[in-house]
Amino acid sequence: MGQTAIGVLLVVICTLLEGVGQVFLKKSALRVVRWYLWISLGSGILALEAIIYTNALRFLDVGAAYAISSLNLISVTLMSRCLLRERVTRMRWIGVCLIFIGVALVIARA
Amino acid sequence: MSVRKKFPIRLAAVLLLAITIDTALQLMWKSAVLSLPNDGSPWLNVQAILHNPLFIFVIFLMACQYFNWLMVLGNADLSYAQPVTSLSYVSVFFFSVLYLKEAADVIQITGIIFVLAGVWFISQTDHVTQSKGRRA
Repeated sequence: MGQTAIGVLLVVICTLLEGVGQVFLKKSALRVVRWYLWISLGSGILALEAIIYTNALRFLDVGAAYAISSLNLISVTLMSRCLLRERVTRMRWIGVCLIFIGVALVIARA
Repeated sequence: MSVRKKFPIRLAAVLLLAITIDTALQLMWKSAVLSLPNDGSPWLNVQAILHNPLFIFVIFLMACQYFNWLMVLGNADLSYAQPVTSLSYVSVFFFSVLYLKEAADVIQITGIIFVLAGVWFISQTDHVTQSKGRRA
């Protein structure tokens, strides 16, 4: 596996961790029962993500690494819709898709 | 037809701060990684990180970002705030070209325009979901 591939794989893992961590943090902001548990879990996951991301920067340019991490837009939007029951309108999905395409164009040349 | 709620100044301020901190964090993080001695191993030396002032500053920025982000989440939907902070992709791109001397071309600039258009679409939606028995 090439160095770029390792970097991309690490950043993709980070995007999944980011999605889960963010949903947990939002749960704590909603003041649900045992919010401190959600904030601890979310923070722990984001800390793990930071460690993995730091290593990923050894293999990729910061622009590329950061661009790939935009995949979390899709997972976070889906998780917000399903787990947090947020109202995700068509307009919002169009926006997310445009950002995703934009990011794909940026990383295609990285 | 729904009526859009007034956009609170507090939310605008914390979102702007989130984008600014995110941009600084990404650039400092990369600079910190580049400043580490290359011992031939692709993995980072934890001891070297703890003795590097750039990494200490990166950790400080992370803490600022974390507490600011909790304020953002207290004022907006996650599915709204997360895409809007994508504006930091644009700023990171420009600053990494200017200061880290990373390459850029027309395709990448087109991508940045798509990101900006996407953020505009999201900004046209309500920042909070209204439903009974929940606080956002």
